[in-house]
Amino acid sequence: MRRIDNTVPSAPIAYSQPDESLPEERQLLPSFGNVKLVWFVYGVFGLLLLITFGFVTFQPIKVLPRVRLAPGYILTDQDGNTVNNEQFRGKLTLYNFTYTRCQPPDCRQLDATMKEIQDRIQEAETYGLPVEFVTISFDPAYDTPAVLKAHAEDIGADTSTWHFLTSDDPKQVKRVVGTGFQVYFKERGDGDFEFIPTMILVDGWGIVRGIYNGRVYLPETERILSHFNVVAGEAAFSKGANRVGYEAAHLFLCYAD
Amino acid sequence: MTGKVKWILGIAVVAILLFFIAYFVGVRLRPYSYHGMLMQSTEPPGDFTLIDHNGNRMHLSDYEGKWVILYYGYTFCPDVCPTTMLQLGRMMPLLGKKADDVQVFMISVDPERDTPERLKEYVTYFHPSFIGLTGTPDEIADAAAPFGIYYKKQEVEGASGYLMDHTASVTVLGPDGRVRLIWPYGTTSEEMAEDLLHLMR
Repeated sequence: MRRIDNTVPSAPIAYSQPDESLPEERQLLPSFGNVKLVWFVYGVFGLLLLITFGFVTFQPIKVLPRVRLAPGYILTDQDGNTVNNEQFRGKLTLYNFTYTRCQPPDCRQLDATMKEIQDRIQEAETYGLPVEFVTISFDPAYDTPAVLKAHAEDIGADTSTWHFLTSDDPKQVKRVVGTGFQVYFKERGDGDFEFIPTMILVDGWGIVRGIYNGRVYLPETERILSHFNVVAGEAAFSKGANRVGYEAAHLFLCYAD
Repeated sequence: MTGKVKWILGIAVVAILLFFIAYFVGVRLRPYSYHGMLMQSTEPPGDFTLIDHNGNRMHLSDYEGKWVILYYGYTFCPDVCPTTMLQLGRMMPLLGKKADDVQVFMISVDPERDTPERLKEYVTYFHPSFIGLTGTPDEIADAAAPFGIYYKKQEVEGASGYLMDHTASVTVLGPDGRVRLIWPYGTTSEEMAEDLLHLMR
């Protein structure tokens, strides 16, 4: 796998090159004697418009929007260690939110999708950017670290890069999952929750780049894996002249599907 | 004038024109590259309520219509906070008249030691318009988490008591309360002013 720092990409610089106006000039020169300069200016601006239109239509660079800030937090993992959001800075992190007492097959699928992505992460070129997985329980009263540890083993998670987080303070969970990640969940009583199954992709800056709201099941694996590649690609290549192209892609909303 | 001179003059005029167009396209129309990280958030992260350095209760929403800059730190901070506050203080005069539309807040992550009085003395040293904010530990947690801010008390050996480990970036909110820009630690006052003036156009 390539390191990010010494990679010199040859990605297309998809922005208008002033040189491209030269053929235009040659065409117009003969009529110059009649002072048709104004047409020349029109030509150049027309070309500019065309380039912009071409960029928007063909979208040579795809990005994912910088949706919002992922929350800051301190939580406890399945081994009882404290984990905070700063530990994931400079990495790509995929979050999901669940509770281990969840019975319907939907919940099993949510875990299975995360596991599938963890197993197949090598398929997504992330240009050397480390990838981490985080599951936050919104049922901290039941999901103690020990319960989460058993759950991790149950679903076959590789806990070297997949962290199962909880807190002894229910307010903290509400603050992080509800207010911070803006994931809806509500206790219905008898240890049952109503919630919207969600996965959230966070970049190395702690910025939310992908929200998979309800679209979190196995067939979505490919799509989510491709998003890892899009976000990692921007982190690796959006430098120098290429940065202009990437920023233009953000400006013109050239978002990956 | 002979035809030849006419041609030479013509080419010279076109060359000069081309140069200006290339300059215009390359420098003026080029998408501005921010020093910070530009965000495309579509809604504000939410309101919070804290106590300002005059002891009055404030809501973040009271400052809608202003460009709000949030920095999370504490007055006993040995190096990171004064450096950032100094850059923010130096940024203000660089904004010219537009500085009136900007409100910088320093939110204390150390309410135990940062009294309103102490905060006032600290933040106004960097710029008279700066406002220090504090509150109960819960209020501060509610004000910090949605903005991606982490902080934790670090006990250290020695007489200085303890340090706070905290996220050192600066957050810029637009007049509608949306997060617009994140400046990493180390962004200079000139870079901040340039970014902000570009955003405020």
